[in-house]
Amino acid sequence: MELSITNKEAILRKLEDIVGQDFASNKAEDLFIYSQDSGASIPRPVDYVIMPRTVEEVQKIVRLANKEKISLVPMGAGMTLSGLTIPIKGGIVVDMKRMDQIIEINKTSRYALIEAGVTTGILTAYLEKHHPDLEVSIPDAPPSATVTGNALIHGSGFLSQKYGNHGEMINGLEIVLPNGEICKLGSCCISDYWFTRGPIPDLIGLFISSFGTLGIATRLSIKLYPKDKLRDLAVGVFGNPKMIPVAISKITQIDLAEDITFFVQDKPAFMKGNVFLMTFITGNTQEEIDSKTKKLKRLYRKTKGSYMKIPEELNKFFLEKPMFISTAADYRKGGGFEYVGSFMPLGKIPEAIEKARDISLKYGISPTQVCRVIGKGHNVMFAASFSFNRADPADIENARNALHETNKLVLDLGGIIWKSELTGQKLILEKMDPNYKKLFNAIRNVVDPNGIMNPGNWEIR
Amino acid sequence: MTSEAELDWKDIIHRCFRCGYCKFTYDYNDFNCPSYKKHRFETYSTGGRLWLIYGVINGDLQWSENLANVLYSCPTCGNCMENCRFEKFNFLLVDMIEAARAEATKSGFCPEKQKVLVERATNPEMWNPYGEPNSDNEALKKEYDLPDEAEWVYFIGCTSNYRQQNLRDATLRLLKKTGIDFTLVDEHCCTSPMLRTGQVDCASDFMNYNIARIKNAGASKVVTSCAGCYRTLLKDYEKFGADLGFEVYHTGELIKKLLNDGKIKIASNYDKVITYHDPCHLGRHMDMYEVPREVIKQIPGIKFVEMERIRENAWCCGAGGGVKIGYPDWALEISKERLEEAKETGAAVLTSMCPFCKTNLSDANETFNMGFEVLDLIEILDQLDIEILE
Repeated sequence: MELSITNKEAILRKLEDIVGQDFASNKAEDLFIYSQDSGASIPRPVDYVIMPRTVEEVQKIVRLANKEKISLVPMGAGMTLSGLTIPIKGGIVVDMKRMDQIIEINKTSRYALIEAGVTTGILTAYLEKHHPDLEVSIPDAPPSATVTGNALIHGSGFLSQKYGNHGEMINGLEIVLPNGEICKLGSCCISDYWFTRGPIPDLIGLFISSFGTLGIATRLSIKLYPKDKLRDLAVGVFGNPKMIPVAISKITQIDLAEDITFFVQDKPAFMKGNVFLMTFITGNTQEEIDSKTKKLKRLYRKTKGSYMKIPEELNKFFLEKPMFISTAADYRKGGGFEYVGSFMPLGKIPEAIEKARDISLKYGISPTQVCRVIGKGHNVMFAASFSFNRADPADIENARNALHETNKLVLDLGGIIWKSELTGQKLILEKMDPNYKKLFNAIRNVVDPNGIMNPGNWEIR
Repeated sequence: MTSEAELDWKDIIHRCFRCGYCKFTYDYNDFNCPSYKKHRFETYSTGGRLWLIYGVINGDLQWSENLANVLYSCPTCGNCMENCRFEKFNFLLVDMIEAARAEATKSGFCPEKQKVLVERATNPEMWNPYGEPNSDNEALKKEYDLPDEAEWVYFIGCTSNYRQQNLRDATLRLLKKTGIDFTLVDEHCCTSPMLRTGQVDCASDFMNYNIARIKNAGASKVVTSCAGCYRTLLKDYEKFGADLGFEVYHTGELIKKLLNDGKIKIASNYDKVITYHDPCHLGRHMDMYEVPREVIKQIPGIKFVEMERIRENAWCCGAGGGVKIGYPDWALEISKERLEEAKETGAAVLTSMCPFCKTNLSDANETFNMGFEVLDLIEILDQLDIEILE
């Protein structure tokens, strides 16, 4: 809907009435940052940005948007890199970062109840200080990523090999629906405890990877896990990618790892042609760590790999939580970085490594793939990343083309593109079972009849 | 900007990925960027500012009052430089913001409040950003019986000379007690307020004037009790191509040296609980963290307790970068957070080594009735007996 200038100013006043003048804006400078992200998505105009502090404020914003038929785009840290918080049809970006309270840490039932703007950095630091025997799974993203945003895009990270993706770690959600009503999902809809999502019809899944098209999450209960005292890393080097599924199956079979990641890159030169398998191990004694390391060395050997001792500094780098992988954004000295993430069957990994590498070479981008095992080999988050120079439009376009071709590869191999940008969503929808689309669309039409929630995403109508 | 950085910064600025490390403390337990913590829009983080500046460079954005306001509402505390993980350019972050302020000024968008600093400093009857009649310091020289020429010049700095005279006088008394050969000059603004607010046109003239005055006094060493002057003299004068020809010390360094060389000894007790606030211009900007702590630890009877955020991780007092004059209420809010943190230590005395920090912390202490004794470390030392050993 096109708004006149008078209407725009009137709406701004109404938004200011809800959250105060300091936290609603339509100034060009404020909107500029929200009209783009650090990935390769095309910038798109934003009409307003607003930062609510309470669920009541979110309700008022949603009701206003519904009345005025203005689009709403909920945003955590805006770090998906795939443009999911850049409005496709203009409207209001609802930046949730002022809802930043850690409401409860339930030590016994092991969950954290938090507001939607709590960052992974702040929650991790809070647990470290107040509950050092507990930890939360956080993604390989900067500490400014929000826990809720990441969980709601099927994120994954530390502990995902043991406990699954972050969507699976959600115990409960508080959602403001497109009509402004608050809906609690999980045990919290019945009990004071946000400790489980069943045994009732599980509606939480509807809000994961639906990219804010069904409502705005305001509170989240996420599982916490016991933390071992020691954590270390055993690196295996494999010349043949076909041995990666074999090695991962064996490691997960005997339950050796806290996490398993692997990466492939052509630079520096010694890395070219190898897959580096990183098995993160934990224990409460050094003997336990040593014993696991010994077993892994043997396992690597038996699967035609070899154990690689890495320098202490590098070990420290890999063990840091979160790991600093944003460094990839400077590979082309250009501050731009996006990757095609995907959920890929383990058995397809060797082919994915080879073909994604070919795509990188075709587009003149040094191949870089970073992967994480989710569950006991049930799934692999396979990511092929493409750095680009933000100051060079041709380089950005080149990266977009490489991303698009990799999206197609993922689907061809039987994988599913993760947190897909608009063009990838279209590819997924082309391949998706019509009845799945029909069901999702029916739900969406009922929940959001005016189509105000992040329109343009998962566009089936 | 350095001449080298001048060539480079416009080619570097787009390399910010906006990952957001710049907003945090080093262990991520809080936001440590005062501007982001206040405004919370991405725009007000260092990453946001760099993206805006790049937007201006590539023509996506035009200069405006609001854009300038975003750039100026940053105390340039340097927390972003400490926490940005891109080592190839993180040390340039504050320089880039200051360079963009200079561009804003050139384009006619320097905010009015910050402009006043330079209007006053360039007034021939003032030469200081506080709008006070210039003190040529001759009266002080007479009062303290100082020669026209000496090995050392005490560069008082405008804040000490016009707003924190107690610190100035404490420094003068302490320097006299230590027996060093020093004098004063008719100094003009060191240029810190100009450089920090992007009003750089007249900076070289001020620098050349001050250098000439110091050299005319025959000095080979300068000592200052001001963290802002110290940073400017040591770092910025060189960037502007000035040839100092003398050494620059902060009073903390001088006192530490005299103590460690066995030339002086603190001969009386200070029986209070104190905590220390790291001034950004001394700490993050100049890497001076240990010196004041080493001096404090040599004071008999003192009980020294640390705040949670210290050294590279310190929370800014909120005065710097033109924030005190541009956004006075917010500057006090920032200091209030520091005072609350200091309160948790149980300290009765909050000390620092910067007159500008002292001003803002004292103002907040009074405004919010926090009950601290806010003192520069030199003022504490001035209360004690100093024994000359040689």
